[in-house]
Amino acid sequence: MALTAIDIYKLLPKTNCKECGQPTCLAFAMQIAAGKASIDLCPPASDEAKEKLSAAASPPLPKVTIGTGEHEVVLGDETVLFRHEKTFYHPTAIAVSIRDDASDEEFSSRLAAIRRLSFERVGQRISVDLVALRCASGEAGRYARAAAAAFEATGLPLVLLAPAGPLAAAVEAVGPSRPLLAPPPEDLVPAAKLAAERKLPLRVRARGIEGLSVALADARAAGASSLVADPSPETPREAVTDATNLRRLAILGRVRDLAYPSAFDLGGGFPDPFLAAALLVSKYGSLLVLDSADPADLLPLLTLRQNLFTDPQRPIQVEAGVYPIGAPSGSSPVIITTNFSLTYFTVRGDVEAAKVPAHLLIADVDGMSVLTAWAAGKFTGESISKMLAECGIADNVTHRTLILPGMVARLSGRIEELSGWRVLVGPQESSALPSYLRRLPPAAFLPVHA
Amino acid sequence: MPLLPEGEHPNAPAVGMEVPTGTLELPPALAAAIGPFAGDPVAMAQKCAGDWGARFLFLSLAGCHPDGGGLSVSFGAAVVREVLSSTPAPVIVGGCGDEEVDARLFPAVAEAAGRPVFLSYAEEKNHRLVAGAALAYGHGVVSWSPIDINMAKQMNLLLADLGFPPDRVLIDPLTGGLGYGMEYTFTIVERIRLAGLSGDAALARPILCHLGDAWKAREATDASEGAWGDAGARGPRWEETTGLACLAAGADLLVCRHPSSVARLSGAAWR
Repeated sequence: MALTAIDIYKLLPKTNCKECGQPTCLAFAMQIAAGKASIDLCPPASDEAKEKLSAAASPPLPKVTIGTGEHEVVLGDETVLFRHEKTFYHPTAIAVSIRDDASDEEFSSRLAAIRRLSFERVGQRISVDLVALRCASGEAGRYARAAAAAFEATGLPLVLLAPAGPLAAAVEAVGPSRPLLAPPPEDLVPAAKLAAERKLPLRVRARGIEGLSVALADARAAGASSLVADPSPETPREAVTDATNLRRLAILGRVRDLAYPSAFDLGGGFPDPFLAAALLVSKYGSLLVLDSADPADLLPLLTLRQNLFTDPQRPIQVEAGVYPIGAPSGSSPVIITTNFSLTYFTVRGDVEAAKVPAHLLIADVDGMSVLTAWAAGKFTGESISKMLAECGIADNVTHRTLILPGMVARLSGRIEELSGWRVLVGPQESSALPSYLRRLPPAAFLPVHA
Repeated sequence: MPLLPEGEHPNAPAVGMEVPTGTLELPPALAAAIGPFAGDPVAMAQKCAGDWGARFLFLSLAGCHPDGGGLSVSFGAAVVREVLSSTPAPVIVGGCGDEEVDARLFPAVAEAAGRPVFLSYAEEKNHRLVAGAALAYGHGVVSWSPIDINMAKQMNLLLADLGFPPDRVLIDPLTGGLGYGMEYTFTIVERIRLAGLSGDAALARPILCHLGDAWKAREATDASEGAWGDAGARGPRWEETTGLACLAAGADLLVCRHPSSVARLSGAAWR
């Protein structure tokens, strides 16, 4: 785990000689802890300090980037084994494969299918991140043209799964898009030299973690430094075991020679790719290549990823305020719920499904669900009455009837007392809203003559 | 770590199926698979434990809930007796969810059961009644908490105070479906498991995850969104993905609603 300033200070000479440019050793220690200074600035530092601090300064799992601009994919750069310890930073990257020996017509329809693997969910865009181009033709020229066409059509960074010859040709065609070079094991060294020369990321594939330690050393020897490691497992269980062990070696063991993001090719006949992919999204897979472009497969995987890589400390929230659903009028129902984005999108979805125009009041509760916000004292009779008075809803409707989530029915008396509004207790579950709203008597929303 | 071949894993996770009672509104993908059996708990139980490969059954008496079909307590007890005699598979009996009805249902079920079962579930308000009924007839108890590790621990301490044997308690931490709270369950299952393994006796219990919530997700059943792919395939995938995440977090028992999930998840229930 990262060292604190005090731990670092203990390792320093504590002579305040200022050679590092800092007034005192303690100030320098704080700079190192914040990752803003390196131990090399302190010549008198002991060897032990240099060894410990240089390793500690860099993250246990290095960052590897593929692609550029808005489609850049970041792998690695993680610091914990369990999301509840802090958070995971970089979601598992998902690539869908395409073959260069497909006919032009198949090729373009496959690219279109890959482009459609992008969905809007809970106010966020979740989509496939890369295109994995398999060299099935064996011809460098054809492979390079396919690479250019794939990048042109999708704008997504490429994983170039090809032997040395076609790989080099493809790098000529799409080098600036920063593709990931993915040679077969036998072509590792020439590909590593190409990666070093062009400063491109390289996937090192070998059999198991033992095989990887040798292959990774060869790649480094050839000058490549931005690496991802593929232990080429044969079964889903082997894949999850390798992914977990690689991540533990990096984060717990600080084994620098094996500390790389993991990559898995779950295509090409790999057994049970969907099962393996779901387990690897949950447990330490950094990059997955899938042959399936079926949205019924990708939507659940992308949703799983969205869930697990949300920062547990900061739930996603939406702006508080009044949201019209459909075209609500002065006599449309007024419904209140909280600004946790999952609550908002679920309730909004159900109100839309009911096809009953309504005014949806979203209360600011720092992004909690209804029950949690009530338990935390942020969704109370007082706060709801205050919102009713201040959010301007009284000008949009002629009636004074509020529909309250069933889970907090106990607040209805207090709200009626404080706000003068009449409170109807809605269903416990948002999924029951459609039937509830359709059965509402219009009389509940007659104008009141204040 | 769960799933990995390290340390002793004497027992693989158990993948079971829910046997429903009372009025049902099944999404098409589910109705197609279990529709012919869902109305008859005994036939469904035999099918689940037989062809569909469920290693245990969760017999839900939701049918006894006033809104779920209003079946009588004695009818509920009779169903339990018949199901237990129709299959050797282990059975967990779920209450109907209505406080008053369950107060009479759990004792009746505990007495009617011809062999030991688990009663689901005990929570803060009703734990004396449920644990009492289970103790009286040698049954186990599922202790429930709302995705909260402290309440999970407190529930097990309350049961221990009643002298309830710890090896007849399962933890139900409340499982949110994929996309609708699953990550909260994922983290609580990891935390409960890690606490149990590192010496917190009150949390060292098998963890049970119900995957049924996955079917409440719009993405699991809504056929109107063409871009989401075939709804018939998506529903089972939604439940399966929820189950795989629970296995990755360390769940010990999974309750599925679709037969294909039992087969699929059993493929990842590694020892």
